[in-house]
Amino acid sequence: MSIVISDISYLIKSKRIISQVSLEIKKGEILSILGPNGSGKSTLVRVIAGDINPSSGSISIDGINLNEIKISTRAEIRSVMSQTQSVVYDFSVKDIVEMGWVYSNHKSIYKNFKKNLKIIAYECGIENLLNRKFNTLSGGEQRMVHFARTLIQLSGSINNSPRYMLFDEPTANLDIKRELNILNIIKDRAKKGYGIFVVLHDLNVAYNFSDKVVLIKNGKVEKMGLPDDVFNDESLSKVYEVPVHFDKKIGRVNYY
Amino acid sequence: MQHISTYQRMIVSGFLFSLFVVIAIATSLGSYEISFMDLLKSNISDLQKSVMIEIRLPRVLLAAFVGASLSLSGSCLQGLFRNPLADPGLIGVSAGAALGATSFIVVGSNWFPQFFLGPYLLPLFSIIGSGIVIGVLFFITKGFGKEGITYLLLAGIAVNAFAGVGIGILTYISDDSELRGLTFWTMGSFGGSSWRMITGAAFIITLTIIWILRDARGLDILQLGEFEAYRLGIDIKKLRYNVIISSAIIVGVSVSLAGMIGFVGLIVPHLTRMVGGVNHKYLLSASALLGAIIMVIADLIARVMIKPAELPVGLITSAIGSPFFLWLIFRMRMR
Repeated sequence: MSIVISDISYLIKSKRIISQVSLEIKKGEILSILGPNGSGKSTLVRVIAGDINPSSGSISIDGINLNEIKISTRAEIRSVMSQTQSVVYDFSVKDIVEMGWVYSNHKSIYKNFKKNLKIIAYECGIENLLNRKFNTLSGGEQRMVHFARTLIQLSGSINNSPRYMLFDEPTANLDIKRELNILNIIKDRAKKGYGIFVVLHDLNVAYNFSDKVVLIKNGKVEKMGLPDDVFNDESLSKVYEVPVHFDKKIGRVNYY
Repeated sequence: MQHISTYQRMIVSGFLFSLFVVIAIATSLGSYEISFMDLLKSNISDLQKSVMIEIRLPRVLLAAFVGASLSLSGSCLQGLFRNPLADPGLIGVSAGAALGATSFIVVGSNWFPQFFLGPYLLPLFSIIGSGIVIGVLFFITKGFGKEGITYLLLAGIAVNAFAGVGIGILTYISDDSELRGLTFWTMGSFGGSSWRMITGAAFIITLTIIWILRDARGLDILQLGEFEAYRLGIDIKKLRYNVIISSAIIVGVSVSLAGMIGFVGLIVPHLTRMVGGVNHKYLLSASALLGAIIMVIADLIARVMIKPAELPVGLITSAIGSPFFLWLIFRMRMR
């Protein structure tokens, strides 16, 4: 039970954005991806999400090729959270979260929506915002609403079928309370068996929070494995092109 | 899941009821007076009866269908482009339809013998004209992201100007009696409506409206962005195709019968949102009804203001619409 990415390359006008990347996003595991700006992290998320087709290589979810899974079925298996565009019209927060409820075809589980909405809104700390207009919220609050929407999206799956979440810097520009809130919820979902793939920019967060880490540079995987194996002065310094010191005792990265 | 609240259902029912009332009033008023009370007592002469049934009623109904079409297509395009300024008139879709219709009358009718597909060719060419414009606009604005708002309107100005030149040349060089004057195409009119004209249009417009209502949920989710919508299981290509085709059809048919009538497709969706909300299941059905109401009233004003003569109906809608448009731009800048 996993998303298998095998030998993916993605080219724009013969420039390699992603070069022969192979990964496995396993059930119950948090896989973080780290790398400098422009190393292809966000593109990789978009390729795995199916937004864009890779130039070569293949992606399969639980053994089935991504291209053979219907768009509506994919939505029930995996959710994606990335930097979103603004919403032009005055939808309420509840409307936005409800857009994540992709199960309108299954009448029998409709009643679950209200229950799940209540739980997830409370988890994300947005229960008092539900009737506000989305456009009047602060950037951080909007982020939490989109996060809640991706949680709702997978909350209706039946029979404990495998579920995956992809995140592109979910905690960027958030205050530390909200950052911890999101990280803890992601951790909780991994415990419940979700497979998690997350782009992170904070090295300390990545070390303390991931089950596995991928270091990527110029679209190529530089190093992959357990945080303790990947985190060392040599590989971090090489990837980020500045001297980086990793203190193994306290699990902290230092670069200034 | 219903995606429409009880309050919104009440608004839709209210609009539906008002539409029937407005149609009844508009049918009894005009340069040839027929008292409403006499009508209720069925105390009317044969002449009055035939004026109402043969002349006024088809005209009022055509106004209702055209109003519904333009408003619905405005709502759909504003949703598809995620742009509150999209209006079939402003962005050149109506102009494309008018150019399609006039070119067919002047050039095409010589090539196609009258009996071949008969009266359906004119609306068909109109539909092709509006379809091409929407397609081109979509292509132009696709890569611009948020900048698309400006580009959409600028492209609209260019398309409108181009189509205006085309229609102008065609109306002046042609002595074809079927080609009505420039005023008809640029400012619209419901004069000369007959049952023969409106039955086909009513059928096509009603079918298209029912067809596009099924995409209401997709248009809601599209507001998160195209990639987001796709990740939430919406087949974006199909949605886009449905909206473009159906907008082209209803605008094309409307323009081929009544000319270009501006600003209805811009104002009505905004009014509808202000009254009841932004979700498309409500917006699409309510804006079609409200558009029909407003168009019937606008046509009524055009008929009675300087009776027995009449004004082009586009003059009325633009008079109301252009200040509204300015206000809308002003409000967007304030945000």
